[in-house]
Amino acid sequence: MRNYFVLQYSMANRHLSEFGVNPFLGAGLLVFGFVGLSIVLFTKTEFAAYIYPLIALAIISKLSETGRNDFLKTIFNELGYYRIRIIENCLVALPFIIFLTVKSSSIPILILLLSAFALVFVNFKNQFNFTIPTPFQKHPFEFIVGFRSNLVLIISTWFFTVMSIIFGNFNLGIFSLLLAFLIFLSFYGNPENGFYVWVFSLAPHKFLLRKINTAIFCSTLLCLPITLALSVSFYSNVFIIIGLQALCCLYLATIILAKYSVFPNQMNLPQLILLALSVGFPPLLLVVIPFFYTKSINRLNALLQ
Amino acid sequence: MIKIEGLSKSFGSNAVLHNINLVFEKGKVYGIVGENGSGKTTLFKCITGLEKYTGKISSDFDQLKNHIGFLQTEPYYFSKITGREYIQLLCNARNKQTGNINERNIFELPLNQYASTYSTGMKKKLAITAILMQENDCYIFDEPFNGVDIHSNMIITDIIKKLKGLQKTILISSHIFATLNETCDEIHLLKNGVFLKKVLKYDFSLLEQEMRDFTVGDKIDKLELK
Repeated sequence: MRNYFVLQYSMANRHLSEFGVNPFLGAGLLVFGFVGLSIVLFTKTEFAAYIYPLIALAIISKLSETGRNDFLKTIFNELGYYRIRIIENCLVALPFIIFLTVKSSSIPILILLLSAFALVFVNFKNQFNFTIPTPFQKHPFEFIVGFRSNLVLIISTWFFTVMSIIFGNFNLGIFSLLLAFLIFLSFYGNPENGFYVWVFSLAPHKFLLRKINTAIFCSTLLCLPITLALSVSFYSNVFIIIGLQALCCLYLATIILAKYSVFPNQMNLPQLILLALSVGFPPLLLVVIPFFYTKSINRLNALLQ
Repeated sequence: MIKIEGLSKSFGSNAVLHNINLVFEKGKVYGIVGENGSGKTTLFKCITGLEKYTGKISSDFDQLKNHIGFLQTEPYYFSKITGREYIQLLCNARNKQTGNINERNIFELPLNQYASTYSTGMKKKLAITAILMQENDCYIFDEPFNGVDIHSNMIITDIIKKLKGLQKTILISSHIFATLNETCDEIHLLKNGVFLKKVLKYDFSLLEQEMRDFTVGDKIDKLELK
């Protein structure tokens, strides 16, 4: 069992190294980020003590995936398997418990501990036979996969839009639009298998253009309920809504170019820093887009020509 | 026609293919046989352009890769994409119409189900269906019969014969000699990245016996089974 955790530790270090971060620095950044986000959450809402265990349980539930646990059952005996599950769940819950202890929130700690223990005996299947319908069947694959994987989050953006209209809160409406685009950006976070690029009989620049066109078409379609509802309800701000959507489409194009600029590798710190800087200072896109475009063409030449 | 001249491929200091020279003609089926790790898949990836190499590959086409249907040993599928959407994706990629997918679904696959939930054989059959719908001129089938049920094996064999009749160039790797015997015009034996010999159809039975003697030999006796 000790070997199992040593292996997990090595794998975590490898992930950080592949991401371009020194493992020790990465661990420090994770702790810093965790504490920072926790402080922000607790200062922003009075319900933080209850949202916090839910976040922890959402992460712990990832360890209840059936395929992973079936594998563990095949290599460990029953006692070893449950020991591993208990230790893993406790390790994930630990930072949340420490922070809740500092905040003197005893009931959420109790809820979290009991739930984390109960989840040891639960396994979730992440594959269902039910196929979620999408409007993108003619345009595989990013928005089909992304839509199905993030359906709850996408519905929540529509919910925020409805709430913004009911309460006449334009800022909440804009937040729902931004959240939707943030979700769409995540569809392009990981590189696909090289076969799915190779298979296109397109020159690199046409390939990129098709990817960007598809992304803009699908994102516009998915955002249509939000954009229309906000435009009708906050008519005086219609140009802000349209302008913001156009800017978001530009960022969508940028992340596609960033993704293929390092293909088949995963985007790492330099790309993410450039993306973050261009979000903070949009005129930077004038430099960042051509930069990523040139690098993408170079990368794609190897597979498409 | 595909012509390979002086093709070599290395991964770091590990040389996988050494000075390969081959010609694959239209309307012929070529079998590539060799042990695991002999370089078959690497050769296929070089021909498709998925791997870089030294040497030269030329063909009748301005861009060979756009005319190849490549069946990988283990086709990769996204977690939440249906069989129908996979076919659509591969047809979109080559600007081809899918036509009536239900009619062309001869393996009777559950196309509205997520492809990642398919069995190994069903995944292979889906990948074959999709590349056939791309209407390619050359086909590379990397172990098309592995994990596929016997009925579908018969269909795949007939598909290969039909493609040959349509003057397509076909390359197959398989560990099941009987399937190669039935479909191939030539078999090329690959060992440690070098083609040892080319065998024509009338000598296939000799090749099989030769491989059996060479590969199996007295190895089973060494197991000292009791």
